[in-house]
Amino acid sequence: MAKKPTPKASSSSPAHGVDLPEIEKLLDFMRKHGLEEFEYERQGFRIRLKKPSSPAYAFSPGQMPEIVVASAPAHASHASPAASAVGSSAAPSGAAGAAQHAPAAETTRHEDLHIVKSPIVGTFYVAAGPDADPFVSVGSKVETGQVLCIIEAMKLMNEIESDAAGEIVRIFVENGHPVEYGEALFGIRPHRKK
Amino acid sequence: MFRKILIANRGEIALRILSACRELGVKTVAVYSEADRNSLHVRFADEAICIGPPRSSESYLNIPQVISAAEIANVDAIHPGYGFLSENANFAEVCEASHITFIGPAPDAIRLMGEKDKAREAMAAAGLPIIPGSAGVVPDEDAAKKIAAEIGYPVMIKAAEGGGGRGMRIVRHARELIPLFQTAKAEAQQAFGSPNVYIEKLIEHPRHIEFQVLGDKHGNVVHLGERECSLQRRHQKVLEESPSVAMDAATRKRIGKQVVDALKKLGYSSAGTVEFLREESGNLFFIEMNARIQVEHPVTEMVTGVDLVKSQIRVAAGEKLTDILPGPIEFRGHAIECRVNAEDPETFVPSAGRITAFRVPGGPGIRVDTASYSDAVIPPYYDSLIAKIIAHGNDRAEAIARMNCALEGFIVEGIKTTIPLHKKILADKDFITGKFDTHFLDRALAVAAK
Repeated sequence: MAKKPTPKASSSSPAHGVDLPEIEKLLDFMRKHGLEEFEYERQGFRIRLKKPSSPAYAFSPGQMPEIVVASAPAHASHASPAASAVGSSAAPSGAAGAAQHAPAAETTRHEDLHIVKSPIVGTFYVAAGPDADPFVSVGSKVETGQVLCIIEAMKLMNEIESDAAGEIVRIFVENGHPVEYGEALFGIRPHRKK
Repeated sequence: MFRKILIANRGEIALRILSACRELGVKTVAVYSEADRNSLHVRFADEAICIGPPRSSESYLNIPQVISAAEIANVDAIHPGYGFLSENANFAEVCEASHITFIGPAPDAIRLMGEKDKAREAMAAAGLPIIPGSAGVVPDEDAAKKIAAEIGYPVMIKAAEGGGGRGMRIVRHARELIPLFQTAKAEAQQAFGSPNVYIEKLIEHPRHIEFQVLGDKHGNVVHLGERECSLQRRHQKVLEESPSVAMDAATRKRIGKQVVDALKKLGYSSAGTVEFLREESGNLFFIEMNARIQVEHPVTEMVTGVDLVKSQIRVAAGEKLTDILPGPIEFRGHAIECRVNAEDPETFVPSAGRITAFRVPGGPGIRVDTASYSDAVIPPYYDSLIAKIIAHGNDRAEAIARMNCALEGFIVEGIKTTIPLHKKILADKDFITGKFDTHFLDRALAVAAK
């Protein structure tokens, strides 16, 4: 579910010594590996790149990550850059109550995933009940028509069926979180046609 | 007061409701179709939930989606605006069943006012004058003759199950009655699957006069004066004003009291509009009631100083009218509203597309309610209303003068709008002298088209 939109690309002026091509390389790196958050520290500066959390606010075609640049590095002279990458499965802290979702559009472009989107508004559940096994998990092979999850709407449990055959590569929503119409649920790498 | 309200609508009314909520310190949840992703009400709301694809039936009219959104956002109340689900008694009941307050009248009141002949019966029983006519369906030709003679010619034969001009015939002389009765029945059967017709007095040169009312949940009802909405094109209102030039203080007081008494009897709460047709002799006849906030509500707000949308929310939260309204309703000056549509001002063909320039007028006595902005794309899926300009002045002449300035200063490029039409209306001699009825605009447009 989307909350109030964060403003587009707010970037403080880069600290002395940071150049744009370098930042672009980092952004490419993030996109290539489907990362949501990326922190990079090197002598002279530390940079943290974080993707905005709301795919519903597609004000511009390509979503600009928020760039936060530390003005003065706490530690100087690292021999080699220390990079910590945060993948999409770890929910970033701080944003109370907001479900973090990777922007599905970017991932599709670069990984050719088929995105299963929610056809209704409701609450997403990975399994048929609290004690049941999840319908699918990352790595599951699914067929078209196979039930992937439940979305509860108005006290009714709706089984959501896959509209593609392939392997589950991404699960975009956390169990028990609200989803809106069109929200990305699963990323499926389709079986290659024979 | 509610903690959080979901706005089940779009466009300018969604923004209107949003600002009322803001003023009351209530959090807002917008729901939107994919076509409205970039709308202002979505941007300005505290939360926003996409509920469907562009088509209204799959989004704004989709009750399960709206209720589901209300549940996941954990709202206390839903404001339905106008149109869409605002007069859907079933939706109001679903809200109640889901423990969400529906900001509007009770479901039974919505249902009653939605069935036009039942509404007429109920209001007649409560003391309002209705158009003289057959008590129900006219069973046969003999009954038709008798009823028409009682009412007095000219009369109108109307299909019981439909509208829009089909199965309707005007009868001016007794000798025409039977042939027209038969034709009307045949047409009604063809168009609506039922040959049932009723007969009522034809009001020639009618003026459309409507009274704004507000009721609370404690049995109190007030009226906030009338609006004249005679300027219509094909039964769609184009321009509204308050007060009506055809209304005097004594009649306003008399009809106002009748309306308030009738609605107290019915236990009506929230905002509503009681519509009348006024014949040339001055008699007013009740035709229908709209159990919701209306497009033209700003006209009444400007003249009375009462915020009708905030009042609706406060009434729904259980407050009494004596706490909501500062004192007895007072009327100050004159207000006119022009509905600006994204249409060709002569052919009325809808003009969807991207607005490339948008400059809204201002100045004393000017209010503009709009959700449009520069670079906005007007989608083709919804009604064509893009802005309402409301001009208030100390008298009608000043309101007209201010509206003229406002129309001149309202720049919209990239799409066609009906601003030129409004300029023509405001310059019309008969409009200025207040000599018009509900046929005025259609007549003027027909002449212009030749």
